[in-house]
Amino acid sequence: MSGGIAVQSLTLTLGGFRLDKLDFAVAGHEIVVILGPNGAGKSVTLETIAGFHRPDGGRVLIGGRDVTALPPERRNIGFVVQQFGLFPHLNVERNVAIARRKHRSPAARTAALPPADDAAALLAYFGVARLARRMPEDLSPGEKQRVALARAVAAAPDLFLFDEPFSALDTQTRVELRDELLSYLRALAIPAIFVTHDYTDALTLADRIVVLRDGAAVQIGPATEIFHRPANAFVARFVGVENVIDASVVAASGAMATLAVGDQLLRAALPPHWQGAPQRVRLGIRAEQVVVAPPAEAAPSPAVNRLTGRVTGLRTLGPLVKIEIDCGFALQAYLLGPQALNLAAGSAVTAAIAVDAIAVMPD
Amino acid sequence: MTEKTPRATAPMLPGAPANGRRRGGAPSRPDRLYLLFWFFGSILVAFLVVPLVALALSQSWPNFAAVARMADVDQAIALSLEGAFLSATLAALAGVPLAYALARTAFPGKSLIAALIDLPLAVPHTVAGIALLMVFGRHGVFGEPLQTLVGLKFWGTIAGIVVAMLFVSAPYTVNAARIGFEAVDPRLEKIARTLGLGPWRTFLRITLPLARASIMTGVTLTYARSISEFGAVVILVYYPMTAPVLVYELFLRFGLDQASAAAVLLLAVSLALFLILRALARAAPGRANR
Amino acid sequence: MKLAPRLYWVILGCMSAVVAAVAAAPAAEPTVLTIFAAGTLAVPFRQMNALYERKYPGVTVQAQFGGSVKMAKQITDLHQEADLLAVADYNVIAKYMFGTPAYAAWYASIARNAITFVYTDKSKYADEVNSDNWYKVLARPGVEIGRSNPDTDPSGYQTVQMLDLAEKYYRAPGLQQSVLANAPLANMRDTETALISALQLGQIDYLAIYRSDALQYHLKFLDLPAAINLSDPAYASAYKAGVAHTKNGDLAGTPIVYAITVINGAKNADAAVKYAALVLGPEGQAVMQGAGFGGFNPAYAVHPEAMPVELRGLVQPWPGS
Repeated sequence: MSGGIAVQSLTLTLGGFRLDKLDFAVAGHEIVVILGPNGAGKSVTLETIAGFHRPDGGRVLIGGRDVTALPPERRNIGFVVQQFGLFPHLNVERNVAIARRKHRSPAARTAALPPADDAAALLAYFGVARLARRMPEDLSPGEKQRVALARAVAAAPDLFLFDEPFSALDTQTRVELRDELLSYLRALAIPAIFVTHDYTDALTLADRIVVLRDGAAVQIGPATEIFHRPANAFVARFVGVENVIDASVVAASGAMATLAVGDQLLRAALPPHWQGAPQRVRLGIRAEQVVVAPPAEAAPSPAVNRLTGRVTGLRTLGPLVKIEIDCGFALQAYLLGPQALNLAAGSAVTAAIAVDAIAVMPD
Repeated sequence: MTEKTPRATAPMLPGAPANGRRRGGAPSRPDRLYLLFWFFGSILVAFLVVPLVALALSQSWPNFAAVARMADVDQAIALSLEGAFLSATLAALAGVPLAYALARTAFPGKSLIAALIDLPLAVPHTVAGIALLMVFGRHGVFGEPLQTLVGLKFWGTIAGIVVAMLFVSAPYTVNAARIGFEAVDPRLEKIARTLGLGPWRTFLRITLPLARASIMTGVTLTYARSISEFGAVVILVYYPMTAPVLVYELFLRFGLDQASAAAVLLLAVSLALFLILRALARAAPGRANR
Repeated sequence: MKLAPRLYWVILGCMSAVVAAVAAAPAAEPTVLTIFAAGTLAVPFRQMNALYERKYPGVTVQAQFGGSVKMAKQITDLHQEADLLAVADYNVIAKYMFGTPAYAAWYASIARNAITFVYTDKSKYADEVNSDNWYKVLARPGVEIGRSNPDTDPSGYQTVQMLDLAEKYYRAPGLQQSVLANAPLANMRDTETALISALQLGQIDYLAIYRSDALQYHLKFLDLPAAINLSDPAYASAYKAGVAHTKNGDLAGTPIVYAITVINGAKNADAAVKYAALVLGPEGQAVMQGAGFGGFNPAYAVHPEAMPVELRGLVQPWPGS
């Protein structure tokens, strides 16, 4: 099992930056995304796992071994950076061939993967054999990514580390490369830690997400949980929750709560382990979870909140239309283009929000 | 799969307009900038080249040929080239590692060390020579033990020549190499480490080749500066004579004609050498792959 | 940026005042007297320059010092402009300046000197050496002796001539060779003063140099007999027997006499002549003797008829010319 990747109580002070008892594990072949704003310490964390900074406390486990005291070349990792970091003075073949591995870890490899010391076969596996003699500056970003992967794989890694490799790319290329990377990582069955500030990267790639802010993890969990049940307003905004609303708790019983937003009442499912009875909370509602329809009578349902309001703004964003509604408080929602054709500022609409589409977060 | 992205810019010739000529033949802005730069640049080039060309043209061929055949002239030039080569080699061996340390590490007093390295360039050459004599002479703190233990003398020997040359010219290697290393992305070195290359291999296979052009420039400067050094060398070593010392002696014994002939010969040999060194430096890093 | 009208007038007024002041000032271009002189004259001539500038306030003296032959060649070969030339060996003027074209027409003696050896406490056998045994001590193995290049510098060939005379004087054949064996090429420089730092640092033990330098640098020196140390014109014919074989030919010993001349067609000939008068006169001679040189009373001159009138009264014809 190529598991045994773990970061335990990792503590580090580097210049003005502090990493405070970071703790997470990577199970099996999963991809963990460390997500956070710039300056949160994502790259430093990654470099510490890679072995370029010595932590003040804690341990790093890779391939089941405690590598905390080992130099980078003995950790069996593959490292891919922004613009892929190919060696500019070596051609593609030499870039891949330069890797050397002292000892093979007992990591399981997919049958399709060629042996790590066969550079030509590795290039063929990633579909860049015809580029063997080319220089890195002549490659497109997609080609560079594949060569970088081939090179990293040539070092027989137990863990991949990605440091915002797509940051300098345009959106279209980014989307294509991301999809391709995902398929390669699944095929290679090697665990990966991917660092980014772009939550759409996390959407595509992550099995689990570590949200990092100022050197501390504010939420760790599966991707769906982060997106739909953000732990606080910071995480919510960071993963693109459009509606973050102040509310107060009117009543709470068991797993449900009634909340007041202005003079509107909403019912929402409480997150598990909800502590105490704070009066003031924040609500997070993803815009796509707000179902907008022309005003119509519909049977009230305990599972859905129905609000009436007026359209205050419409904005076309490609195939979608972002619609702003005033229903006692401001709310944003998405509609497909054709659905918005009949709406204009001032139109009356109903907004329906399922009770489990509302994330209740501490203030 | 993905289409190849075209390269960011096409190679530009100096003066070539970036967006093509507009209709009507009026030159676009980049043209004027280059013209201005070339204008001022050519003044500087003329300033540097014309005196040397005048010197060369002032030679009469028979006189020049006679001087070129003088045994001590050839010996002096050979000695200068040999001493400068040793000086440049020592500067590279000791200066390149120092430059790497300065480029990569931060430590208290780092700017002081960097300033100290530049200091020999500001010291008057005679003063430098006396300081070196103090240290490498018969009773010097290095000179005495080296003489008694290893029999190495610096007074009147090629070792003294090299020491004087190195003192005044080493800063060029260190500074150029440091700039070259600073231009190498440290992330490339980190990646090399993750690929299993230890610190030594990373330095030799990744860092050094990428900094090679800067290092070669610095070493060439050191070499050139070493050849021309007079004031510091002459304090330690008058005989055997290096070329600058010989030119001076020729001037005293004969006159301007012989002295300038020897100087022109030295310049011609040096020019040939520098062209070769520059060609080596320009060899692009990718060529090693063939 | 528009200025208030009043400011314009103020600026205009100031500028006019400056222009008027500059125009009204006497066209006082300070005269610069350029002197090329032998290195060993540096100390006395600096004093001389101060004396001169006090006497003639409108003139600034700029002196350049170096090997006598080098300074002469800077005039004859490099065509640098100088008004006055002072050398450590009167023969240098005759040899380089009297040719065609003639850069000088006469010269006059300003001081005399003696060849000697200087040493320090650190020198080998410093406690033993004296005026009688010096030639034996200096010939011992391990002794390092410094001297200047006989091909380019007077003190260099004068040292060789002195050793030749010493060989005959002490009736010690091989003396010259054995002493010079301790003064190899490595210990030679183009002027002897370049070796003073080497002496002080202990790189060499003895340095062949002028007595004036010994006194100026407060160094210990050997008192060599007048018959060999080239200090006395009275021994002039005896000195001829001491010969130095150099790349410029065989040079016979002559008394060490410093000489001065005014360059033909000098830009500041007037000021130069005044300077020569100062040096040749009692004040200048006092300065020279204070610096350790021997003096003349009066000075000797070659071609006195070519000298400016003011100077002729200060000199007598050179003996033997």
